[in-house]
Amino acid sequence: MKTYEALSSSCPETASLPFLPNGFPTENASSFLPLKCLTKIASLFRQTLTSPGILPSKSPPKTVYLGRTLSRRKFATSALGGLLLSGCDTEFYRPPVIRDGPMGVADVLTMASQRFLLSGQQLVQEHDTREITKNFPVWNQANPEDEDYQRLKAGGFTDWRLAVTGLVNRPTELTLQALKRMPRRSQTTMHICEQGWSAIAQWTGTPLMDVLQAAGGVKPQARYVMIHAYGGWYEGYDMFDAVHPQTILAYGMNGKDLPQGHGAPLRLRVERHCGYKQLKFIKSIQVVSSVEDFGRGTGGVNSDYGFHWYAGA
Amino acid sequence: MIFLHFPELYWGKVGFQGYPAIFRLEDWGISWERAEELGDRRWGRSYHYLFAWVFVLNGLVYLAWNLWQKKYRSKMLPSREQLTSDHLTGEIRNKLAFRRPGTTATDKYNVLQKISYLLVLFVMFPFMIISGLAQMPAFTAIAPELIDMFGGRQTARTLHVICTVLMLLFVAVHLLEIALAGAVPRIRSMITGKFEGVKTPKQGK
Repeated sequence: MKTYEALSSSCPETASLPFLPNGFPTENASSFLPLKCLTKIASLFRQTLTSPGILPSKSPPKTVYLGRTLSRRKFATSALGGLLLSGCDTEFYRPPVIRDGPMGVADVLTMASQRFLLSGQQLVQEHDTREITKNFPVWNQANPEDEDYQRLKAGGFTDWRLAVTGLVNRPTELTLQALKRMPRRSQTTMHICEQGWSAIAQWTGTPLMDVLQAAGGVKPQARYVMIHAYGGWYEGYDMFDAVHPQTILAYGMNGKDLPQGHGAPLRLRVERHCGYKQLKFIKSIQVVSSVEDFGRGTGGVNSDYGFHWYAGA
Repeated sequence: MIFLHFPELYWGKVGFQGYPAIFRLEDWGISWERAEELGDRRWGRSYHYLFAWVFVLNGLVYLAWNLWQKKYRSKMLPSREQLTSDHLTGEIRNKLAFRRPGTTATDKYNVLQKISYLLVLFVMFPFMIISGLAQMPAFTAIAPELIDMFGGRQTARTLHVICTVLMLLFVAVHLLEIALAGAVPRIRSMITGKFEGVKTPKQGK
């Protein structure tokens, strides 16, 4: 059994993290996709059937992740239950709010199948720095019309603080300097916009998991990380994405400070998702158990507006 | 249509407005703003995936049924004598002359039909699915090989669009041929499973 405290203290550049407690394969035996799927399905079935936790027992073994305790049984049933869409605990296989009608069915099918294939928490492809795109497009808001933001910008963001609140054990505020002193990760990845364009950049920042650790870890009832931005934007992410090693709060781009148009002073990189999940101009982080109190209650500005909450595509 | 919200095509890994494009709708007289007006992309993509799932699940059932019934061998694979050059050129000549097929029961596909159906079923359909998956951000982690296979995400997107156009052409030609061959009795036979022959106009009255 693995504890996630141990993981976070290891080198942040670690290639692949075993995420699910039951020891999902983290390395893929084959790079051929259908084979990968079959291997994964087979190993899931095997683990689910052989896991002692799957059978009712008085004290199922516990696994700790980010201070949150989950029983092995719950995890095993969620993995297989999600696959079969059987109404078990399908936490990571569905968005916080499922849309009505056939659209909702398609949403869940898409998300469940992708999350199933991602259950090893594989890293996304990283590119050579020579492939970095010149003139990376600036999309959506480039300069929030927000008094606070303009004041902070005028002061060179020295007064900017990242508040980490909600269901964390030690709510905290971090300066940009404090973030830069924390474990850092640089990744040259492809940004894929929902509309169709793509571009490559190198991002440098603090893994979101380390920021949550700095706030003492999350409480057991934590389910989503809501990130608020200047200009009224906010977006929710589940713990599956929050603990991924390539989910970073980026303060650097292509070796320099994050430029204005790309979300200075801090933006999110949540690889494996479309561009609209990569929130810019971050103001605060709030760990919550439910997304219903925000906006129209769908878990983000984009999904409030009609986009699918899960943006793996 | 999703394409209208980014009406440019590129080759390689990256592509965006201002990047050298291989196709721009702007060059064809439709501006970005005009293209944007033609659809609602928030729902466009959701419908796209909804029907992609219908297509994939339906396709799997169809494939399983036909494999189980061993229909492909008898119906789809061209026989050896059909693949001789004489037969092929004869069929192509027939086609180009727009000669109507016989008015009696034709329960077998001709060789051109067989080849084009095989191409659509086993080349274009899988290609659409794979080139679609290769565009998804999640697949940069699930199977980056898939994206590299195309030579980059934008190439996959471009080929996805080109293949769509080819499939639409196939449908158009197919409908045209059915119309030429006599649509009503053929559709009736699809539903009833029996072919009663094409009635000549005289018989029809």
